[in-house]
Amino acid sequence: MSNYRFHTPDGLSDMLPEDCAAKRKIEKKLRTLFDSSGYQEIETPGIEFFDVFACGKFVSQENLYKMTDQEGRILALRYDGTVPAARLAATVLKDHPVPLRLSYVENMYRFRESGGGRQREFAQAGVELLGVSNAQADAEVIALSIASALEIGLTDLQIAIGQVDFFLGLMEEWGIAGEEADLISKLVDRKDSVMLEKMADRLNLDERDRETLLMIPTLFGTYETIDYLWERVRGDRARAALTNLRDVLETLEDYGYLKYVSLDMGMLRSLEYYTGMIFKGFTHEVGFPIISGGRYDRVMSVFGRDLAAVGFSIGITLCIAAMHRQGRAYARKATDAVIGYDNEPGSRKKAIEAARVLRKKKMKVILDCAGKDEKALGEYAKSNSIGQVIFIKADDGSCLEEETEEK
Amino acid sequence: MITIALSKGRLADRTLELLEAAGYDCSMAKEDSRKLILEDAAAGLRFIMAKPADVPTYVEYGAADIGVVGKDTLMEENRQLYEVIDLGFGACRMCVCGPEKLKGNFNRIPNKRVASKYPNITRTYFEKTKRESVEIIKLNGSVELAPLIGLAEVIVDIVESGRTLRENGLDVLEVIADISARLVVNRVSMKMKAKEIMPMLDAIRAQLGKDKE
Repeated sequence: MSNYRFHTPDGLSDMLPEDCAAKRKIEKKLRTLFDSSGYQEIETPGIEFFDVFACGKFVSQENLYKMTDQEGRILALRYDGTVPAARLAATVLKDHPVPLRLSYVENMYRFRESGGGRQREFAQAGVELLGVSNAQADAEVIALSIASALEIGLTDLQIAIGQVDFFLGLMEEWGIAGEEADLISKLVDRKDSVMLEKMADRLNLDERDRETLLMIPTLFGTYETIDYLWERVRGDRARAALTNLRDVLETLEDYGYLKYVSLDMGMLRSLEYYTGMIFKGFTHEVGFPIISGGRYDRVMSVFGRDLAAVGFSIGITLCIAAMHRQGRAYARKATDAVIGYDNEPGSRKKAIEAARVLRKKKMKVILDCAGKDEKALGEYAKSNSIGQVIFIKADDGSCLEEETEEK
Repeated sequence: MITIALSKGRLADRTLELLEAAGYDCSMAKEDSRKLILEDAAAGLRFIMAKPADVPTYVEYGAADIGVVGKDTLMEENRQLYEVIDLGFGACRMCVCGPEKLKGNFNRIPNKRVASKYPNITRTYFEKTKRESVEIIKLNGSVELAPLIGLAEVIVDIVESGRTLRENGLDVLEVIADISARLVVNRVSMKMKAKEIMPMLDAIRAQLGKDKE
């Protein structure tokens, strides 16, 4: 049998002090930001029943970390923050007045191909806004996601906004349903113009609709894109989706965030999960979106409560990687001072007292416990970039006063 | 700066020709060298030379913005990418092949053993399209051997002219997909570097249109 005692499982890794400090700092900033907008933080169990994630077909079973409990029931590690929050809102919090604003900062676990930097355990923060189904709620969540990235320091930011209902409206209008619509949505999302064209030939669309279908994957822009499409679609559902996008853009303009966003009409993603506006956030130097969100009115109903819902999550682990590669990594604040003491009676007590005083002044202070003499302590401080060395001697009664006064 | 991942060989040569014709100076990539990264800062282009199966990986993770790779590799790797242009060259077909005598009654064999360099394509095709469980045997080359010596009943492989098959008494039983070189783009680069990438895609499309005429 192989022995893995020196290793961590694939896709899981240790977090070293620098990254850990960066993570805590980001978490703190995001918690403060979410809290200041009235989002109440929740914690859901790290392990849920498998059914929680599996019931709505939101997650494919291959991507869940599974285990069983003593009764043989299947459990799964927390896959995302949204589904457990929906469960919570539909059960424990079902009598809570709406709109309900929830937030979370947690580690997620996804069984997927590892290697190349994509972890199976990663930290995410996010919010859910439940009970309001309008463009203002959509925009609030997008705006909060932008504020999150800016707060972290990722100012090179692009948010792409799409609308699942626009696509579904078109399919309805053109009488396409079932597996065929599903396949088309995948081709559009992949921007696979090659296959899409072949598909369009089989579809019996008139020339103008065929043109519309083929241009969707590469339709980017803002208001002008909506105006352009308005003339090309007829159905109420598709037009309602366009109206929603216009309202979202106008609201984001009021936030002063229009410069960060553009529409991507071909962005579709999971049609099982999302029901209206969807969005993703990108920054330089990481190949994956750092922000992901949208409207998912159907998720709540799976848990027995019909409630509109919109939310987003931001990948903290990805953000740390982006900050590193963009040369904006947070530096961990170094230790300010190290205090040592000689072997005489009373010195240790003085040293402990001195450390207490300095720590109260918000300094980071190490109290030497290895019995280093003054010279060794100086070398230790130098090799650990510690700015100040204090050595307490029994005969040097005024030492503490002098050192602390200097600060 | 746009980073383009290519796989050394015919595909890379054809891609460079196409880019040159579309107005991009690729002279730095043409010199015969063993360098893995070929860069021209002035032209804003950098080429990285990778194994074909690794090109989708480089592009998915954003180590390269654009990649050129066969559809067979894309199907096998199944990465989250934008697959935007069919470059047309490197055309062939992904097929189920087997002894000629199986033609027409291939579906009657129960519990088939299928040998292939492409285990994922094979699994997807038999599970999703044919709704059938098969035993997949992964091989790394000369897959035609497998049915000849009884390692497998059939194989899944790419077929260009079909000569190797015929010379070994094999034939195409079913066609899974048409294959050719595709241009793929990283999902983030498409947004963050749209100003550089979109004109390049347009220029390539225009050049392909001219070539057709």
